[in-house]
Formats: sequence, structure tokens, C-alpha cells
Amino acid sequence: MTDPAVGAIAFVTLLTIVVGARGIRVARTPDDFMVAARQVPPGLNAAAISGEYLSAASFLGIAGLIVSQGLGSLWYSVGYTAGYLVLLLLVAAPLRRFGAYTIPDFADGRLGSVGLRRAATALVLVIGWFYLLPQMKGAGITLQWVLGTPYWIGVVTLGIVVSGNIAMGGMKGITFVQCFQYWLKLCAIGIPALVLLIATGHDSARNLQPGRAAVFTRATVVDVPQAIDFTLTRPATATVSGMLDQRQYRHQAVLLCACRHAAGAGAQLGFAAGAPVPTSLAMAPSPGVSWNSPLSAAGTDGAHPLLSTYGIIIATFFGAVGLPHILVRFYTNPDGEAARRTTLIVLLLLSTFYLFPAVLAVLTRASAPQLYLAGDSDNVLLALPSLLLPGLPGALLAALVAAGAFAAFLSTSSGLLVSVAGALSHDFMNGGVTSFRWCAIAAGAVATAASLLIGRFSLALLVGWAFAIAASSFSPLLVLGIWWRQLTRAGAAAGIVVGGSACLAAIVASMTGAATHGWSAVLLGQPAIWTVPLAFGVMIVTSLLTPRTLPGNVGQVMLRMHLPEALSRLDYRSFPAERGRRSPGR
Amino acid sequence: MSAEESRSAQPEPAQPRPAQRQLVVWRGDEVPVQHDIPGPGDLRDDTNTGRLLIGSLVRAQLGLSLMCLMLALTVTISFPLIAALVPAVGRTSVAGLPVTLIVLGFAFYPVFLAVGWFYHRQARQLETRFTDLVNPAGRRPGD
Repeated sequence: MTDPAVGAIAFVTLLTIVVGARGIRVARTPDDFMVAARQVPPGLNAAAISGEYLSAASFLGIAGLIVSQGLGSLWYSVGYTAGYLVLLLLVAAPLRRFGAYTIPDFADGRLGSVGLRRAATALVLVIGWFYLLPQMKGAGITLQWVLGTPYWIGVVTLGIVVSGNIAMGGMKGITFVQCFQYWLKLCAIGIPALVLLIATGHDSARNLQPGRAAVFTRATVVDVPQAIDFTLTRPATATVSGMLDQRQYRHQAVLLCACRHAAGAGAQLGFAAGAPVPTSLAMAPSPGVSWNSPLSAAGTDGAHPLLSTYGIIIATFFGAVGLPHILVRFYTNPDGEAARRTTLIVLLLLSTFYLFPAVLAVLTRASAPQLYLAGDSDNVLLALPSLLLPGLPGALLAALVAAGAFAAFLSTSSGLLVSVAGALSHDFMNGGVTSFRWCAIAAGAVATAASLLIGRFSLALLVGWAFAIAASSFSPLLVLGIWWRQLTRAGAAAGIVVGGSACLAAIVASMTGAATHGWSAVLLGQPAIWTVPLAFGVMIVTSLLTPRTLPGNVGQVMLRMHLPEALSRLDYRSFPAERGRRSPGR
Repeated sequence: MSAEESRSAQPEPAQPRPAQRQLVVWRGDEVPVQHDIPGPGDLRDDTNTGRLLIGSLVRAQLGLSLMCLMLALTVTISFPLIAALVPAVGRTSVAGLPVTLIVLGFAFYPVFLAVGWFYHRQARQLETRFTDLVNPAGRRPGD
């Protein structure tokens, strides 16, 4: 649509490839590929973690969901940040001191069971692929918006760029790319938010008054890209072109009643300033939940909003702990103390970033409320700048947003693909650099094919579901594995299998529309509310029932995870015989 | 396995070998097992004292983590509950901005940062104190 946006996306993609390609010369061993040889300082590492973490959901999804569903969707951004607080409190330092590469390595090293390792690897693949889908969808709709290409072209482009880049450079190159992309994303959302706030924020307060339906702040022509049903809160006159209520109009003034209307694809409705904004029936905030309510019923069609909100809170707070692509980054810290410092900086970087999607979403609601008529809420941020600032400034801001969004897809899917390919090549192949490359390409192809099927789900919702699976499987494994001596092999295996598969089954049932109202909609749409306690419970009870599968070296392992570096270094220096034991998983 | 090995190896230094001459170099941090002073050797050898020491560290760290977690969770979880019990909260606005936006959009982040900073400081102090307790010889003046 706009030339600056095309240039910006091409620039981001090329820069990612070039910086990643520098990694080819540096990366020589599997260790280099997997964790950048553990020599990344906290500031750089924190920016890289944030860059990897801020995905399509954070960049486009949350703002879109707020515009369409209400302020309660801000729980997603609160939860995505709070996940790092939980990670700092419960996992960061001990996990780094334990010194394994991946979650399967942790499961194997802590509990010494190959079966458990296989189960963990399978879950890394499930979570990784589930999380990759929204990134691909984001790329599809962004290219669709910018270039007008079909959805699948964006999806395939991202798949090729990311798998190729990973196969060539591994993670050493990617650390610099991810770090750069955090700052790019912050600028790409912060600058448009501040510019638009200054330019148009002064007349936006009216639409934020709670309990009041949105009105147009100035004369506005609403384009209807695809057929929708909408209602009005009170009668209004509109200048209509195209199909409306089964009649063809040609730029005629029509008095619309405060009732249900059907607009055809391609119709244009012109409203005067002060006219009520039409509410799309497909996208309307759920009945019983007003736009200003702090409760969110996203994904559950308005049923039991309080319970649904707690579902989001549990999934996002405890999900970050179990994300495979994030944990692999913690092994790049020099020691446990540095891991804590890194996490604290990540918390600061994320808090800063998440201020802006809220600002942009509120601006959209206040000044361009017609955007949530467009059908897919996920491209609201891409459309906003040119609507509020006509001409070149708007086009430039839109280009910046598109570039930031593309950076988000590139960085998150790179990180995910490294974990998925690493898990595949390490546990199912011979683990060398060549097999890692082939696994990266294969995993990328699978994700690309799958994401052609999920176009109708909101980005934030999809990512929220990936968090729910992680929270009900890896999160109890890590938390109990680090803090509880009595965790047994049987307990850990039962917990991740029961929790993970219950959560996955609920999500698949919800995606296929098995339940659309009442309790079942909440329990399937936000499954974390019962699958996380279930996974913890199964893990604890099974462990207590099977004390015979308690690993023999639990004392040593606890020591390795919790001993401060000042003492563990001293031990290893004083007793040379211990040195051989530093390698992970033995 | 290795813990048992090292335990069975323990009595060896106690058996005298008068025929052999030995050069003994004393280093503060290398005293093998002194049962009156707990030291790094206890942790390595998995003695009762060692288990007690590491157990106390893990419990102290877990207590600190859970306290901070409860603090952050109470603050966040109570807000939707209050809003559900008192629906007026969702309809109130302060200075033209809905309370929901102020709380969810801006107010929680400083709370998370404060809790995280407090935890980081406390955890480091706990570890320093534990290190000094176990290995007083490693303490440098000014630490």
C-alpha cells in the first residue's frame, strides 16, 4: 500500500540476514550455535531476551484485542511482564547454575531419565510450533496490508528467511540481531505512540468516558473491506455507497435506525462528527463486559469474565518460566548472579515497551474507532497512523510500525526455531551442526504449513495459549525440580504428560468450537485455570507415591543449583577431582 | 554414587602411615573435615552438617522468593476481584482516564520492578552471608 513501508520491511529483513550471516564465521561448534559460548554480558543479553520475547502478539495482537474487546485485554501485557518476575524469583539463578542447555537437558540432568527427556523434547516441539503459528500469521497479515499480497506469501517469506538464517548462523549471530531488534521494536512502537498522542490526543478524552458509546470525533468515511453486520446505539444519518441492507446506494444520505444493519463488502459509510460509531456484531465486546472493565473474556465469548481473567493471569504469569526459547537464553549468562541481573533488566525493558501498545490502542478507540469494523483486529496498529495523520508523516509512521512488526516476527520465530531445531537434532538426530541445519529447515517448513490454517484466531489469544501449555507442563517441572528434593522421575513425567496434554486438548477443543458458552467455554478457552493446578498436583502426589524413583544424586544436584558461585568456584579449585563433574546432565 | 565414594574415602586420612614422610602445607580453605567448624568440605562430602547448611540456604531462598511472589500476586489478583465485587471501579475515571487503563496500563509495572529489585538485593545478601558462614577464610577485608 505504502512505499516507505515496503522499504522499511526490506531493510529490517536484509539487516537481520546480514548481521546473522556474520555469525557464520564465528559459529564453529554446536556449543557456539546453541548458547553463544556463554559469554554474553547482562545488558546485551537482557536486550536480546526482550527482543526475542516481544512477538507478534505483543506488537500487534494486544493493541488489536484491546480495541475490539476492551481494556481487560491489558492483562496480557501485564502477564507477559509479570512472567519475568516469576522467572526471576523462582528459576533464573538456580537454572543457570545447574548449567544445562535446554529443558530436556534439565529434565535429564535433574532426574536422570531418558524417557522423561523424550517427553520434554516432545513438549518443546508442541510449545515451539504453537508459538510459531501466530508469528507466521502476523507476517502474513502485515505483508497483506503493506503489499496487498495474499496471506500465504507473507507466511512463506517469513518461513524461508528465518529457517535459512538459523541454518546458516545459529545463535551467536542471532544474539546481536535480537538485541538490535528490541531497540528497533521499542522505537517502532514508541515513536508512533508519542507522535500520534501529541498530534491527535487532545480531542480523544470524550470516547474514553466509561459507559458512553464511542462517537466519531470528526467526519469519517468508514471502508468496509468485507461484509459485516453492525448496530448503532442511536439513529444517525450516513452517506452510503455500495450495498447496505440488501440495497445498492450511490453516495446517498440514508437515515440509519438504531438497529441491526448488514453492509456488503466494499461499501463506504460516511458519518458526520458526533455520530455514533457502528459496533460490529462479530467483533463486539462480549455482552456483560463493558469496554472499560478490567475483566477480560477474550477467547471465552463473554462467559464468566472473572474466571476467564484469572485464567489469563495464571497462564501468562507462570507460562514465561516454561518457554523453551527463553530459557535457552539464560544459559548464555556467565553465572547465576548475572542471570538475576539480566532478568531484572529484562523486567525494566519489557515494562517500558508495554506502555505503548496501551497508548496506541486507547488512541485508536478514541480517535479512529471505525478500525475495529475492519474484521481482523490484528492489523489495527498498521492502519492507525495513516488514518490519524494523512500524507507523508502518517505513511512514514506506518512504515515504522510495519518494520517493527516484522522485526517482532523475525526475532521471536528465530528464537523459537533455534529451540525446536536444537531439540530435534539433539534428541532425535546425531546432534552435529549439519543435522541442526537440516532440522531448522524442516521445523520451519512444518510451522509455515500449519500457520496457513489458523488465520481467524487473534494473535494475542494464540500466544496466550502457547503460554498456557508451557505453564501446565514445564513450569511445574522447573519450579518443583529446583526447590523440592522429593520430586521423582515418575512424578515429573506424570505431571508434564497429564498437564501438557490436558491443556493442549482443551485448546484444540476450544479452537474447533466445541463449547461456545457457559462454564465449558471458560474451562476450554482459558484452560490454565485448571490445568496448572492439575499439573502441580499430579506431580506432587505421584512423587510422594513413588519414592523409589527418587534419583540417587539429588543432594549433589541441589548443591549445584543453589550453591553461590563464591563457594562452588572455591570447591572446584580446591578439589581438582571434582572438575570433571561440571559438564551438564551427568 | 559419587557421594558414597567420597564418604567411604573419608576415614583414610585418619589412618596413620608412620613409614612415609609427608610434606604438609596448611591452607585455610583446604582443611578437609573439621567437625567443629562447618566448611566447604562438608558441602562437598555431603555430611550431615553439609546437608543442614545447604538445606537452610535453600529454605531461606525459597522463603524470600515466595514472600516476594505473594506480594506481587496479591497486588495483581485483588484488582479483578475488587472490580467484580464493586462494578463501579470499572466505570470510574480519574483525570479523564479510566481507572482500568491507569492500573493495568501503567501502575503494575513499577510494582513488579520494585519487588524484583528488592528480591535481587536480598538474595545476594543471603548468598554473601552464607558464603561467609561456610568459608570465613574466603572473606576479604572490606567485603
